[in-house]
Amino acid sequence: MSSSTIVQVRDLTMRFGGLTALDRLNMDIREGEVLGLLGPNGSGKTTFFNVLTGLYRASEGSILYDGQEVLGMTPQLVYRSGVARTFQRSRLSLPLTVFDNIAIGDYQHMQHGLIFNLLRRKAFRAEYMGYVDKVVALLNIFSPSLVDRLFEPVGTFSMIDRRRIEVCRALMSHPRLLLLDEPSAGMTHDETHTLMSDIMNVRSKLPKLSVVLIEHEMNVIERITDRCVVLNYGRKIAEGSYAEITADPNVQTAYLGEEAA
Amino acid sequence: MKMHSVPTQRQSAAILAATGLILTFYLWLFLHAESQLSVAILIAVCVVAFFGARRVGVAQVVEQASKQRPGLARLWALGGALILIAAFYESHFILLMICAVLLYTTACLGLTMQFGFSGVANFAGAAFFGIGSYATAVLSTHTGTPHILIIIASGLIAALIGSMLITPVLRTRGHYAALVTIAFGILFKTFIEVNDVLGGPQGLQVPGMSLFGYEFNNGFSVFGVEISFYVSYALLSLGICAGVFVIVKALEHSWVGLAMDVVRTDETAAATFGLHIARWKVVAFTLGNFFIGVAGSVYGMITAFIAPNNFTFADSLLMLSIVILGGLGNAVGLIPAALIVLVLPEKLQFIQEYRFLLYAALVIAILRFHPDGLLPRKTRIFFSRETSR
Amino acid sequence: MSILSQYIFNGLMLGVMYAMVAVGFTLFFGVLDVIKFSHGDTLMVGAFAGLAASIGVIQLGIGSSTIQLIAIIVCALCVTGLLGAVIAKFLILPLRHSPPLNTLLATLMLGTVLREAVRLFYPDGSNPKPFPALLPTSSIEIGSFSLRVDNMILLVAGVMAIAGVHFLITRTRLGMVIRAVAQDSETARIMGINFEAIVLITFALGSGMAALAGVMNGLYYNEINFNIGLLMGVIGFSAAILGGLGNIYGAILGGFLFAALQVLGSAALPALITDIPSAYKDVFAFAVVIILMAWKPTGLIAEKSSERV
Repeated sequence: MSSSTIVQVRDLTMRFGGLTALDRLNMDIREGEVLGLLGPNGSGKTTFFNVLTGLYRASEGSILYDGQEVLGMTPQLVYRSGVARTFQRSRLSLPLTVFDNIAIGDYQHMQHGLIFNLLRRKAFRAEYMGYVDKVVALLNIFSPSLVDRLFEPVGTFSMIDRRRIEVCRALMSHPRLLLLDEPSAGMTHDETHTLMSDIMNVRSKLPKLSVVLIEHEMNVIERITDRCVVLNYGRKIAEGSYAEITADPNVQTAYLGEEAA
Repeated sequence: MKMHSVPTQRQSAAILAATGLILTFYLWLFLHAESQLSVAILIAVCVVAFFGARRVGVAQVVEQASKQRPGLARLWALGGALILIAAFYESHFILLMICAVLLYTTACLGLTMQFGFSGVANFAGAAFFGIGSYATAVLSTHTGTPHILIIIASGLIAALIGSMLITPVLRTRGHYAALVTIAFGILFKTFIEVNDVLGGPQGLQVPGMSLFGYEFNNGFSVFGVEISFYVSYALLSLGICAGVFVIVKALEHSWVGLAMDVVRTDETAAATFGLHIARWKVVAFTLGNFFIGVAGSVYGMITAFIAPNNFTFADSLLMLSIVILGGLGNAVGLIPAALIVLVLPEKLQFIQEYRFLLYAALVIAILRFHPDGLLPRKTRIFFSRETSR
Repeated sequence: MSILSQYIFNGLMLGVMYAMVAVGFTLFFGVLDVIKFSHGDTLMVGAFAGLAASIGVIQLGIGSSTIQLIAIIVCALCVTGLLGAVIAKFLILPLRHSPPLNTLLATLMLGTVLREAVRLFYPDGSNPKPFPALLPTSSIEIGSFSLRVDNMILLVAGVMAIAGVHFLITRTRLGMVIRAVAQDSETARIMGINFEAIVLITFALGSGMAALAGVMNGLYYNEINFNIGLLMGVIGFSAAILGGLGNIYGAILGGFLFAALQVLGSAALPALITDIPSAYKDVFAFAVVIILMAWKPTGLIAEKSSERV
């Protein structure tokens, strides 16, 4: 399995006034891999996602995605390049239905012109039914119980269900790069296990999909990641397989403090 | 929930017919009522019925029925309005009130699209309404354009001015856009007063509507009975209101409505999934102002005389009261809200003077205690008769 | 030459009053992330409360200007301070978890309630009321300028009020607590600060400032009417935004900037277009504000930082 590099991060720096959240970060993301992005809280993992998806403007450095410079792209452009994400603090539209929230994940392929939606109702209905099928198919993988409640407002569901819905929304657009920000936060071991299996299930059908996973649960990391990158204070301090990084003294210090090394 | 099964097509038709007839009759009584006592009784009946219907489950039954037969529900609404217009064929004043309710509802449909769907606050609703009126006055007095085109042009002018106003501040947070529309709402009067072409502080006359050679202001007679000329205007207003209602509802149940809702509820997530925030806000704002301008245009023709004082900031706030009272984002709630805000003060004369005070206080109470309004907006079901399997 | 000095002085007076209102807006935004749109009308209520106090004092047979003045100020401050705290407690605080536009809308409506209440319930409220002239009306000659003492006093008082609030916020313990709550209310609460009390105090403080501005407005123009709150509120809001919401220096800067724009407008526009109504100076000023906002969306000095992604 040849894995070409699809994302190259070079000397990425992000400063918020006096705080340096990313400090000359260098890392690669390879096509088709599941990359674990680890590090203590505040080490810059979510900031990296935010810079990559165009929500923050980096202070210095570069991110090349398929050879194109990502920094300076709007979030909308980044999305169109095939990058989808979930959020650490779940960001769904709570008054909208499950269908609404997931379908919007594929916004770029929807026909959202006024003429189409107002005057070509038959064609719209056909497109809509197609989306219903797609959404139901995704839900059947992650949360079959939700299919019966497809048109209920998301606000009425539990946090766990909402996280699953968010993953579905990200997958809806058939991304090439999937960024998952602590998707299992708040879940039990079993729920996490199920979620990760479902994600791997989907991935098996999309061999070119690269996944970057921010996660704290070590079992998950061990089980599903191909490679890991560990950040601390915005810098990469270790890189390699799970076994390699857990043995790395720098990593142990970062998580557990000086005495642990 | 008292209903254990969804009503059949037949049952729904019967339920909708009954509801349609009851509401029409009630409105006939209400519009007809003269004495303060009868008005008070009718209000009490309405309040009791409103809360009682919820309790007993009648309201839910009617909702189910209209979900089953949405087309029929709309036909009954239209039919009821026509019956009322016919019933008051010789009462100028009541027909005028009906026109006002219909046209303000049209304008508030525009506001709903802006505020309820896309989250763009428009505190200058009356100003755009006024732009529609003034454009109509000028165009029909100084040009020979057919009035139908003038109505459309007035809407377009309102839409254009609106988009010029909002585009600079769309990159900023919500309260900046609010400031711009508040300032515009307050200063619109000042804009108008300087130009003589626009009549200055004294105002302008607006020629009546004419359609294919028929002058609305002339009135007509049927079988020898004199019909108020306002009937023609009421029918026109009804047509426009119904048309805008259908458009707004269709947009709500489409990708357009979905995109607008997502932009309103979470801009960050929306951007991350490719939605152009500014674009959707501009679309909503512009289209909404088009509807408001059209409503203002017809209103000008009906009242025949407009002045800057008709379109003050307080009037903009009154329009927002209708939108909030009816249930933000719910097009159906606008009619009862417009009736409460526009017709009630006419009926209960003693509250006329306190109108602005009362409705402002009412909005505060709603925002504080029941932000969803009278008829909370429902979740989006794109095509109600189709289930999603 | 005296026309120029007239314009300049007018601009300074307006600037001080706008700055006082803008500081209120910025304080409220800083502490609770809310736009309290009834602020301008609170100013108006303060002015009317002061007027009522002065009438009351006269009824009591006391003719002294000084006592009237003191009564006006005390009454205005107390009434609006209380009003501000009550509004905060019963409207603003309960609404703080709903969408921010709801609070803006609710307070906008509240402003209408205040305005209409004064118009309807204050005796002859819909007409402008004369405000007593209680300051010495003599003038001082400096070279070719003649400066009126009463206006000088007002100007100095306004500057002192702003300086006083600035001192309070930056140099006192209370000010530090307010700033702590503004920066991070959760942490402030964990550190033992009584969040609600601070919010109420802040709102009372801001409203008191508005009351002073209202009284000053009355003394300067010798007249008040129920409508002044709306425009004052919008101007104060724009000034606060111009300077960057949450930033006190910005609010002060914004206030003076807006006043300068108005004065510029009232001086320049009649030269360009004859017979233009004086209200067009407002149109001019707002147009410039909108352009400035488009250029610098977060204010001339940056707005306080926004939400976490």
